[in-house]
Amino acid sequence: MRKIGIALALALSVSASACVQTRQFADTQFTPPQGNYRLLVMRPDVVVNWLTMGGMPEQRADWTEQARANITAALEAQQADRGGQTKVLARRNELPGVSADEIAELERLHNAVGQSIALHKYSGAALPTKRGKGLDYTLGEGAVSLGRRTGYDYALFLHAEDNIASTGRTALQVLGIAGCAIGFCAPSGGNNQFAYASLVDLRTGEVVWFNVLQTGSQLPGVKFGDIRNPQGAAQMVDRLLGRMKPGRQARQAMEKK
Amino acid sequence: MCVRCEISRRSLLAGGGVLAASLATGVAQARISPSTMVPLIGPGYRPTDADEIGMWQQMERAEEEIAGSNLLIKDPALVSYLQNIIGTVGGPAAKDMRIYLAHIPEFNAMMFPSGFAVVFTGLLLRMRNEAQLAGVIAHESGHFLRRHQIRAWRDLKRKSDIFAVGSLLAGMAGGAAGVNTGDVVQLAELGTLLSLFSYSREMEAEADAMGVKLIAQAGYAPLEMANVWQQLIGEMNQSARYRRKRRDRASLFDTHPSPDARMKDLRLSAQEVTVAGRSYDNHRARYLQTIAPIRQTLLDDQVRQNDPGASQYLLNTLALDGWNGLLRYYEGEVWRLRNRVGDEQRAAQSYAVAVAYPDAPPEAWRSHGLALFKAGRTGEGRVALSRYLSMKPAAPDAPFIRQMIG
Repeated sequence: MRKIGIALALALSVSASACVQTRQFADTQFTPPQGNYRLLVMRPDVVVNWLTMGGMPEQRADWTEQARANITAALEAQQADRGGQTKVLARRNELPGVSADEIAELERLHNAVGQSIALHKYSGAALPTKRGKGLDYTLGEGAVSLGRRTGYDYALFLHAEDNIASTGRTALQVLGIAGCAIGFCAPSGGNNQFAYASLVDLRTGEVVWFNVLQTGSQLPGVKFGDIRNPQGAAQMVDRLLGRMKPGRQARQAMEKK
Repeated sequence: MCVRCEISRRSLLAGGGVLAASLATGVAQARISPSTMVPLIGPGYRPTDADEIGMWQQMERAEEEIAGSNLLIKDPALVSYLQNIIGTVGGPAAKDMRIYLAHIPEFNAMMFPSGFAVVFTGLLLRMRNEAQLAGVIAHESGHFLRRHQIRAWRDLKRKSDIFAVGSLLAGMAGGAAGVNTGDVVQLAELGTLLSLFSYSREMEAEADAMGVKLIAQAGYAPLEMANVWQQLIGEMNQSARYRRKRRDRASLFDTHPSPDARMKDLRLSAQEVTVAGRSYDNHRARYLQTIAPIRQTLLDDQVRQNDPGASQYLLNTLALDGWNGLLRYYEGEVWRLRNRVGDEQRAAQSYAVAVAYPDAPPEAWRSHGLALFKAGRTGEGRVALSRYLSMKPAAPDAPFIRQMIG
């Protein structure tokens, strides 16, 4: 009886671990873009892997291309709804008067800044100097200059990753949970997604808003919207960018009014 | 897939947490005969399987990043020289591979799965002739021609699958019988991990064998590839001795066979591929002429590594082909930067010898002059420093030197 009790408790904790999580940070002055704004989306970094039975992610070229197209379309539709004009870069050399190298530099700089944000805002290594300041990071002059020359108000950096469990992986998950019945629970991860979006105000160069999305479950067969199809991609874009919260000071100002 | 690297070992160890299934492993890797090494791909190869297509897609971005990196040396003469070498020793894929030169002062080169190679400048410093450089490049081509990356990935997938199922079944059997199988599973995990490293060493041995065959076919002296390893062993020994340490010994977690084993195997393989009556060349003159414009930078990078043992060994090795002003000057720099008792005098001697060569760099005259000043021989010092100023009038410290010599 005791054995079954433990197994049940474990099985419950397994199902509880299926979840969709987002966590966003914003500059204290940030108000979500509304009305007639111009948004430049840097080349979206989209990857679709399939998970081998042993849990190794393996990139699939056809799925990745499909998903990139879906995410791009979903993003354009979403921003159009808010009144924004969006340009999604597919290549680095698409903007007139801006070299591919300049875009590459900005992407690399954002990578470094993004890693700092991940470390100090998400991984728990909080910096005392940034306490209470919301999101306090900048891409500096390069971003401002890009905005001035191209007329865009915002730049969006986006990474989206979908890991799809192979049949073998799903079977292993089923076995792992079935094992609970004989007292050996070995739940393992299956379908999961990871995405982040970072919004840079090109008038100031500052990273004004950052969001991370994670989905995953140890229950076999649970899906969170497959970005290989348009509905799944729209769902991910909505989860990631659908509910932008204003920064603290901006919110207080709004409440006063 | 690099000539000698730490990165892949780390990633294998990090990834190892998920893996296993015990297989016989050992550090010793039997020599692979070059005659058994045939390229597994033809000209214009493109992947057809889903896993390899995905890998190439990933590599497209990687290559874009590397090609745009500001660490690259883009001197067209040097780049086309390297491209010609890979075009000579690249076997059937000679026309398909790309090569980049990165300004990193370490002995390394690597091949990426989609057929582009990166060579570090530290490698160019250490090679005594073109045959040695061609040997390293041919080794890297060997990885591509033998499809090593995709084979390694499939090996990893297979073994991680076996481990995942094995550990689950073991756990279930244990659960049913009421025994904890944790220890057995851990042992299996270690076994899988070790077998992955062993597979990696096997591929390195393959690439060595393929490489020696390719350079011999192209008319390069095949023995030079073994000499590369002899030089590397010497350098590591010297470097370790200065730090009062011993050189790392072979371990089960090595991704590459030990340099000693590789040197011995390459010796034997070189004999095997040598055709009696054929003449082989090492193209030393051509090599030295091509790297001449950046040789000072290469030496400069090396002596600033704060590794006097290795730097000295390298200078002495390069000087086997004859001392010159550049090498003597940097010999002095190694002493000066080491800064132990008596090193100042040693450095001064090296500078004095350096300026006796017609190719002494301006900096040699500067250091020689300053050393003379320190020794109180200001008259001779002024002459040397004037020589420096006339050779490099726009030097950043020129006003200071001018004031010094009055």
